[in-house]
Amino acid sequence: MIETLASGQLLFAALALGATYALVALGLNLVYGTMRLLNVAHGDLVMLGGYLTYWAFALGGISPLVSLLGTAVAAALLGALAYRLLFRAMLGARRTGPRVEANSLLLFFGLSIIAQNLAALVFSPTPRGYEYLSDVLHFGNVALTGNRLAALLVAAALCLAVVLFLRWHTMGLAMRALIEHREAAAVVGVDIDRVQIASFAVGFGTAAVAGALVSMTEQVSPFMGFPFTVAAFVVIVMGGLGRLEGGIAAAFALGLIETYGVALTSTNWRSILLYGTFVALLLARPQGLFGRRAVMR
Amino acid sequence: MSTRRGIFNTVITAAFALALPLDSALAQGAKPVRIGFSIAKTGIFASAAPSQLNAYELWREQVNARGGLDTGREKRPVEFVQYDDQSNPGQAAKIYEKLITQDKVDLLLAPWGTPTHIAVAPVLERLKFPMVGNTAASSRLRDLKPGNIWFTTAAIPDRIGKELAAMLKENGVKSVALLTNVLPFSKEIKGFLEPALKSAAIAISVNEEYPPDVKDMTALLTKVKQANPDAVLALSYPSDSPLYVRQAKELGIGAKFQFVLIGPTIDFFPKLLGSAANDIVTVGEWSPARNARAKAFYDAYVAKFKEKPDYLDSSLSFLSCEILEQAVKTAGLDRSKLREAIGKGSFETINGNIKFKGVENTVTKTGFLQIQNGEVQQVWPASMSTAKYRPKTSW
Repeated sequence: MIETLASGQLLFAALALGATYALVALGLNLVYGTMRLLNVAHGDLVMLGGYLTYWAFALGGISPLVSLLGTAVAAALLGALAYRLLFRAMLGARRTGPRVEANSLLLFFGLSIIAQNLAALVFSPTPRGYEYLSDVLHFGNVALTGNRLAALLVAAALCLAVVLFLRWHTMGLAMRALIEHREAAAVVGVDIDRVQIASFAVGFGTAAVAGALVSMTEQVSPFMGFPFTVAAFVVIVMGGLGRLEGGIAAAFALGLIETYGVALTSTNWRSILLYGTFVALLLARPQGLFGRRAVMR
Repeated sequence: MSTRRGIFNTVITAAFALALPLDSALAQGAKPVRIGFSIAKTGIFASAAPSQLNAYELWREQVNARGGLDTGREKRPVEFVQYDDQSNPGQAAKIYEKLITQDKVDLLLAPWGTPTHIAVAPVLERLKFPMVGNTAASSRLRDLKPGNIWFTTAAIPDRIGKELAAMLKENGVKSVALLTNVLPFSKEIKGFLEPALKSAAIAISVNEEYPPDVKDMTALLTKVKQANPDAVLALSYPSDSPLYVRQAKELGIGAKFQFVLIGPTIDFFPKLLGSAANDIVTVGEWSPARNARAKAFYDAYVAKFKEKPDYLDSSLSFLSCEILEQAVKTAGLDRSKLREAIGKGSFETINGNIKFKGVENTVTKTGFLQIQNGEVQQVWPASMSTAKYRPKTSW
């Protein structure tokens, strides 16, 4: 047992899971953080990314690691379009502004159902899959397939890139300003509209890249998105809503709990461990691991 | 104004264009036979149901190309009346009631999945409407009142348990790791498999269950690797079967007998897993090499849908149509005659001869398939085999 726990194999599995959770949750957190929009269709963007990558591979023979750039751009454009057509007016209107969380939840719920059924109609509900980088690589006593390693590296790199972007780039700083204090950001001259459109683009783009990475190891189907939505919500609530680094830390924590917790108990305990930790944490720290308590003003 | 008239004209033209095929059918004097069913277009069964619907559509196309469904007196074109049951068995029961009482369909085809079959059975019984089932497998089906529903599958959990233990014994397996997804079909098989393994003197060195939403099996498979059994029996579903194979390959699990319950015969499985899918054994009682009809069905399916049929669901669905077609030919559309024809008849199908005893097809033997060099072969029982079982020596 000790041998199993100390082996790099479990650590790799935990990191691979954590990186996927982190990347999926990142975009959801960004869209929520900057605009308070609850995107329950987020997992469907993972599905969309999966399909774009699958078709690029099946029809054009394009490597997923290459086509994910195109997938990211396509999803980012979709995000910008969704913002322009559906959410800009909602966010701007004085009347609906205060109800934006509830309204966006319903709107995204509708979009999610439409997206799933449209995908079933266009792609058929038959699951699809392709084989890519499936050879097993050995590093010491750790064995891993190339596609899982590639997914881990790309997801981790992208998370890091987004964090650096938020720290150093003007647009990134503006996004953080919006997350911290929307009105104050507007007062100091942040172009709210541009920041919001960028948040949508980055949020949708990263989710689609997560889908591209998932498609290298799992089958793609129109209804695959929902579990990712649930996982992403657990991650961002645990990390603290709108706290991007907190979300990433929570994602890796969940990955560790899922693999090591299961190793110590049994696989049947997976959901109990995951959601047990989630509930316990919320009872102890309702604002999440890295969230701040709301200040009465 | 002129635009509005333009739209009006377009609508009228379109209406005539749509009405034309109907007119030509009526001109030939053949009133279509309307066949109703519910299908899981959305919800949790939606990704599994196309293997059934495709088989139905292929059958309809072939029947209509032959001039229609022979009702004993005349040939009539087949028309489908279908509704989405949203993967909800309760909804399916309501749909079947509507199909019979309001739509007044002539015949019925089955919905997808065991719970859905069980849910519609009382409706069929109450309204005395016969239906040949297909994609359902549970020993509980035998508890249903016979007379209006029949089940074509031989993949019933108690029979699978017994046959799998027999196959393992014959191939010299002394110990197994049993990994069970906690869904009804796999759990039921586990319940019958454990005593069967015991009486075959096969030890269960690892016996673990896992939830359907499992995302990683590293810890579980590390235990399997340490136990080093002769066989791994993964009682898995399509969503987690690839996960098992991928991670078993990653960890280099050495068991030569690899059984994966549901998934290996679905088109995406070998595409996703490549050589790792090779030599995996799965449940199934049909292969294209079964007979000439089977080969013709397989070729037509691949030509029409550009993918392989599911060896379990597609073949069961298609042969349930064949049974209905042959019963209608002798009994016509009269329900009591049809009931008698199905219950007592003998049918030539893509899976050979089929007869029913009670609700169960007792002719077809429970069997196992193996993927060999990308082709699916029947390897058990010997009387149905298209190839010899071979141990899995590499991933």
